[in-house]
Amino acid sequence: MAMWALLSGLRGDLTVYAAVQAELRRQRVDTLFVLGDLIGPEREANALLERLQQPRRGDLQPHCLYGWWEEQLLAERGFRGERRADALRQRGGEAAVAALLQAVDPGHMAWLASLQFGFVELDCALLHGSSADVGDSLTADTAPLQLLDRLTRMEANRLFTARSGEQFCVELCGGGIESRLRDLEGERQQHQSVPSRKVIGVGSGLHYTLYDPGSDHIAFRRAGCPIHATGRGFA
Amino acid sequence: MAHAVISCLHANLAATEAVLSDIDQLGIDTITCLGDLVGYGPQPNEVVELIRARQIPSCQGCWDEDIIEGLNSCECSYPSQLAERRGQQAHHWTAAQLSEENKAFLASLPLSLRRDRLLFVHGSPNSQHEYLLPDMNAFAALERVEAAQADTLFCGHTHRPYVRELREGVIKMRLRRAVANPGPDIEREVDLPVRRIVNAGSVGEPRHGGTSATYVIHHEQDDSVEIREVPYDVERTCQAIVAAGLPPLFAWRLRHGFEYAERADDASHVCER
Repeated sequence: MAMWALLSGLRGDLTVYAAVQAELRRQRVDTLFVLGDLIGPEREANALLERLQQPRRGDLQPHCLYGWWEEQLLAERGFRGERRADALRQRGGEAAVAALLQAVDPGHMAWLASLQFGFVELDCALLHGSSADVGDSLTADTAPLQLLDRLTRMEANRLFTARSGEQFCVELCGGGIESRLRDLEGERQQHQSVPSRKVIGVGSGLHYTLYDPGSDHIAFRRAGCPIHATGRGFA
Repeated sequence: MAHAVISCLHANLAATEAVLSDIDQLGIDTITCLGDLVGYGPQPNEVVELIRARQIPSCQGCWDEDIIEGLNSCECSYPSQLAERRGQQAHHWTAAQLSEENKAFLASLPLSLRRDRLLFVHGSPNSQHEYLLPDMNAFAALERVEAAQADTLFCGHTHRPYVRELREGVIKMRLRRAVANPGPDIEREVDLPVRRIVNAGSVGEPRHGGTSATYVIHHEQDDSVEIREVPYDVERTCQAIVAAGLPPLFAWRLRHGFEYAERADDASHVCER
C-alpha cells in the first residue's frame, strides 16, 4: 500500500508547498492531505490557493481541509452565520483581521467554504485540530485522557492533527478503568480497557509526515533535508 | 446537609408540584434545577413561575435555549422525522404561550452552576445538547468531568436517572517525538482520578420505563446519592396536553411510561438542523 503525506500550516507560502511537492515526487506517496491553515496573515495566499485548486503537472492532487485560519476568514466574511473572527481579533486585534482579509482574494471564498472539517480514511481521522474543535491544539504534552477522548469521539484508531504545529506520536497502549453504574434497575460494574490507539502531530510548513496505512509506519520529514539526515522516523 | 437536584421539568406542573412536595416533606431546602423547564408539556408558564417563585437556582436546558434562540440553535437528534415534526409543533406552541417575562427569565439562566467541586449542567459541560448516557465510553465520560474540574458532575437531558462512579483508571502511553525535534522516548502510566456523574433523570418527561417523576438527593455528609421516584397525577397532565392541542403522543408516552415511543417511525433519520 502506498503512503500518505500529511502537511499543514502552509500559511500562503507557495515556496514551501512547492518544496514539499518536489520531494514527494521522489517518494512512494500516492495521497496528499493538507490539514488546514492554507492561509495566514503574513503573506498573500492567492498563488498557493490557485495551485491547490489547479495542481501543476506532476503535483500530487491535494485533499485539503479547513484549519483555524480559514475558520477565522470564513467567519469574518460571513460564512459562519453571525460569528466573526473573534478568536483572531482577541489574539491579534483589528490589524491581524485586516491582514488576513488582505491575504485572500474574495474569489477563493467559495472554494474555502467548500472545504471539510475532517476526513476519515480507513480507521484514521484526519483533522486540523481535533474532533472537539478546529482550534483544539493537541501536543505531545496533552493529557492522555484528553487524547483518548478525542479519538473516541471520532471512533478512530489513529488521529492525525496539525493545530499545534508539532511532530509527535503518542501511542496509548494499555490500561483500563472501572465503572460502577447504579440506576433504577440496580447496580452493575464494568471494566473498560484502553484500546491501542495513536495521536500523531503532523507538523507545520516544511515539516510534514508520511504514513503507511498498510504497515502503520510513521515517518516525520522536513522538506529540503536529505532523508538520511532527518532519520527514518519510526514504526 | 442534603441537597436535591431536579431536571427536565418539561412544563409538567403536576409532576413538578409532586417532586417539590416530596423534597419539602424530606425537609430539604437546597434545590438545584438542571434546566428544560419547558417543552413537550402543557404548562410552561406555570412551571417557570413556580421555579421563579421558589427561587430555585437553575441552569439553562436545550429546550430553554431553543425557545429563546429559535429552533436553529438545536443540535439534538430526533429519532425520526415524525418525532422532529412533533418537536417543532411543541416548540412553536410553547414559544407562543410563554410570557415575555418568562422568556427573559429563561434567557437569563446560566449554562452551568458550580458549588466547590460539584458542577451542575443540563447536558454536559460541553453543550446543553450533549447526552451523557449511562453506557457511554467510560474514558469519555471521565474526560467530561475532569475537563470541567469537578469531582461530581450533575446532569440531566437523558431523562434517565443514574449514578456512575469512574475509578481505578490508568492509561499507559508511549511518546515518540520527531527526529528533528529530538527528545527521549517516554513510556509512562498515568493514573486517572476518581470521578462521578449523577444524572437526575426527569421530573416531567421520564424515560426510565415507568411513569414516576425522578430526581436525586445528594447527602453531603457521606457524599452519597439517592435516586428518588415520585408518583404524580399523570392523568392531569395528559388531559392538559390534549386540551392544549399538543400532539396526543406526548400524553400517551407519559401515561405508558414508554421510553422509546418515537423510535419506530424512521430509524434512519437523524435531525441535522
